[in-house]
Amino acid sequence: MAEARKKCVTGIRGLDTILNGGIPVGNTVLISGYAGTGKTTLSIEFLVHGAMMGEKGLYISVTEDSGKLIENLITYDFFPRENIQKDIIFIDIPEIYEKLGLNKLQFTMEDINLLIENIVKIVKEFNIKRVVIDSITSICYRLETEEKIMEFILRLGKALQELGATTLMVSELLPSAKGYSQYGVEEAIADGIILMGNYERKGDLLRTIRVIKMRGTAHSRATYVLELTSIGIMLVPLLKSGGE
Amino acid sequence: MNYDQFLAKLKSLNEPETVSLVFNISSYFEGIKDILNVFTKDKNVSIIYISSTIPSKNIVNLLEIYGIDLKNIYFVDTISSIMMASDYSNPNTLYVESPTMLETIMIKTEYILEKYIRGDVAIVIDSINTLAVHNDSKILSEFFHLFATLIRSKNAYFIILSIKDQNTQDIKNIMSIISDEIIEVD
Repeated sequence: MAEARKKCVTGIRGLDTILNGGIPVGNTVLISGYAGTGKTTLSIEFLVHGAMMGEKGLYISVTEDSGKLIENLITYDFFPRENIQKDIIFIDIPEIYEKLGLNKLQFTMEDINLLIENIVKIVKEFNIKRVVIDSITSICYRLETEEKIMEFILRLGKALQELGATTLMVSELLPSAKGYSQYGVEEAIADGIILMGNYERKGDLLRTIRVIKMRGTAHSRATYVLELTSIGIMLVPLLKSGGE
Repeated sequence: MNYDQFLAKLKSLNEPETVSLVFNISSYFEGIKDILNVFTKDKNVSIIYISSTIPSKNIVNLLEIYGIDLKNIYFVDTISSIMMASDYSNPNTLYVESPTMLETIMIKTEYILEKYIRGDVAIVIDSINTLAVHNDSKILSEFFHLFATLIRSKNAYFIILSIKDQNTQDIKNIMSIISDEIIEVD
């Protein structure tokens, strides 16, 4: 029997059971979904549980000012809000762009290399074990071609894996999306895809979550309903008799 | 069984089990009052009361009239929101937007169990009949099967209320599949 890979326990109720113990350490996982499905909340809870287990986390905010984001965060019973910025490093990517002189609409390969080097440097310096990039879609917007997107995700994922960091990349989907990512290539390269969605039944809108793929572990592919609560994300199986 | 026998039976329940209670409409509200009284007062058991028949606020008013201590009674109210009548003044009440959101009922119940309950607990559903008005029998059967399993795993009492005249064959089948005991109260 092949030796099981070491798992990064997400700490999120039910998700570790679905993932047979957690995300294999070093995996790059897309958290895909439409707006309002709980992607950011899930990603931050992943970092919060990491902090509680002594694993340093890095949150790279691409689209929103991190200060504003923290203000709007759910208040957890198990983790004081004032500790969030103490135990997790928040970086707004425009600051990195500014520092690296990347204030342009389209990145060259050199720019991409520079950005990767910088992120890796932070991860090394602070011994980060959990990384969230929110969102990868907004970074991909500046990469122009599929080749550049592929190169960016592959190289960054590999570098972070070598450092033993597990990475969540938030992928924003438009309602018209057919796959699990906006540009199509992200989902092919990622080690895992967790799809968050809305399920409408009799006019009710339920938040759902499903693990589409996860390299290095067996996992459930069933759909679960989730709620964002003060004791963290809670999951129950979606009742199947409701019909699709 | 007659009402006195039902009360004696209720008091004699010692182990958490799933019990379906079938009332006549005339004894329904007295039944609710006595269930809550026996569990909270005699057995010192907390209650999670899932209301889909009447808003939790009305139940609270009724219990206050009877002088029942509400401290250890929590409500998952599935009916007030669709009537635009949610009342956020009771901190022991959580609202579900509609009685069709069965998964949310399970999550809110589990939330109360984890956040507030220390010690023994009984989960009361009022009622399977009104849930059947809003949900078809297949999804309702699936819900009750899953919910009863969840509640058993938490070692809690599960009390399902129904009204005799409104119990269709589908409802009887659900109660028969998941219940350890079905008690008809005359």
